[in-house]
Amino acid sequence: MAAKSNAIKDWRNRIFQLVGGVLAFGVYLFLLAPSIIVIPVSFGSKYELKFPPTEYSLDLYRIFFSTESWTQPLFLSFRVAVITTIIATVIAVPAAYAMVRFDFTGKKLLIGLIMSPLVIPSVVFALGIYLYFSYFKLTGTATGLIIAHTMFVLPYTMVIVSAGIQKLDPNLEFGAMLMGAGRFRMLMTVVLPQLYPSIGAGALFAFLISFDEVVISWFLAGPTTTTLSVKMFSAIQWEISPVIAAVSTILTVLSLIVCLVNVALQKNTEIQN
Amino acid sequence: MATNAARNAGPFIAPAAILSLLVALVPLVFIFYTSTVGGTSTEAFVSILESNLFRRAIKTTVIVSLLASLISLVLGYIVALHLARQSARRRAALMVLVLLPFWTSILVKSYAFTIILGREGLVNSFLSWMTGAEVALRLIFNRIGVIVGMTNYLTPLVVFPVLASLLAIDPALYRAAEVMGAKPGRIFLTVTLPLSAPGILAGVLSAAVMSLGFFIVPALLGGRQDLMLANLVDFYTREVLDWNVASAVGVILFVMVAVFAVPAMLLRRRQQQGAH
Repeated sequence: MAAKSNAIKDWRNRIFQLVGGVLAFGVYLFLLAPSIIVIPVSFGSKYELKFPPTEYSLDLYRIFFSTESWTQPLFLSFRVAVITTIIATVIAVPAAYAMVRFDFTGKKLLIGLIMSPLVIPSVVFALGIYLYFSYFKLTGTATGLIIAHTMFVLPYTMVIVSAGIQKLDPNLEFGAMLMGAGRFRMLMTVVLPQLYPSIGAGALFAFLISFDEVVISWFLAGPTTTTLSVKMFSAIQWEISPVIAAVSTILTVLSLIVCLVNVALQKNTEIQN
Repeated sequence: MATNAARNAGPFIAPAAILSLLVALVPLVFIFYTSTVGGTSTEAFVSILESNLFRRAIKTTVIVSLLASLISLVLGYIVALHLARQSARRRAALMVLVLLPFWTSILVKSYAFTIILGREGLVNSFLSWMTGAEVALRLIFNRIGVIVGMTNYLTPLVVFPVLASLLAIDPALYRAAEVMGAKPGRIFLTVTLPLSAPGILAGVLSAAVMSLGFFIVPALLGGRQDLMLANLVDFYTREVLDWNVASAVGVILFVMVAVFAVPAMLLRRRQQQGAH
């Protein structure tokens, strides 16, 4: 009797889980399909935009890398993203350390301001920066893009680095200073080496977010400062060219690399702790 | 003591503070300033409130944001529930399926949806093949396209907080409910759902906050009549060249986001305090 009711319960649980699993699988597919589908399309022919492609070639990549109106934006985006990443990381690491280890008046207000790009729509910042930068003739310049992007990626980098600092043992820092290390020496020899994985992850995301950023770049773009994402945005609107599939694949692969490196870095810190 | 700490923190925080003040705060002030033409005029606000274009855009923004957030909640909950039931190892692996789309450029996803939902896209081809008749549903350049695109972007945002609150539920509660004879459906309704309510609220609020400011998806997957507020900011800046009105729309968008963001932040603070 008991065995029978258990069997029914078991069967009922299994149905419940099966339905849940099938539904979840559908949602995973919905989430993943758009990122994945561009890959086969990008190896298709230059004459048609079709899935699945009828014939496979590298034509689209060849066109992409040999057309100046695509390669120039690619190099610009790369340059802007690299410089943004370096500045944002250098600023974010000490700021994150201060946020975790110190208390000071106005701290919450300052955190709110730094984190505001996570909540306030990009278009609001984009318009404000556009109006503001036109006073300094910074619109349409790479410098303007780098300044705006640095502000925009800073909260992401700070969140990741802060999470890393929160896991550190403050006693090691006290210990080092007790043994006579100055604050600077303590930071360089005790804090920083433990933080490399978080700093690496923060920098990677800074690069990715700057590289993918569209809205602010769209407002600041000038004839010679069209980033890859801005070029892509207008290309999707005005000419559904199959070359966009090649660009999309490059961007997806970039996201995948950042994702996987991040997972690996997190695993490493878990093992260390 | 506080001043001492501030002096210690000063050099660490100064570059970030200066950057945020000059490049985040000043532009926001600029928008408020421009929208009122220097604090003296409400003309820009009066003129947009009277314009049909604005009224339609604000209506579209509210309806689309609401629908997209609710659909994302359902989809996100399904995924979070599935993830919560896996072993830690499998969960980490499956998480990549949520994280990769989360970090994929919104341009890539929008472009992909033109391939999937277009007139001769994947969905229509599949339906034609299934039914044997020519199916050409209009799934793109209208509101459906916008909601599908936005839902795809927002679902991961719901998964993270809901999963966190599901994992915080004590497994003993499930065993107790089962021992007492509750069926899976009843356990879900009386244990899982109420205990994950904070995650649901956090997820749906952050989805709403994000969705109000959407710009790329309506521009690429919507039709002319599906302009949202963010697109209107662009329209007035670029085509009408009226920066006062563009800023006024920006201010309204900012206020709408704040209405949702403030409760979301208070909620997060309360949850963090609860956890300690």
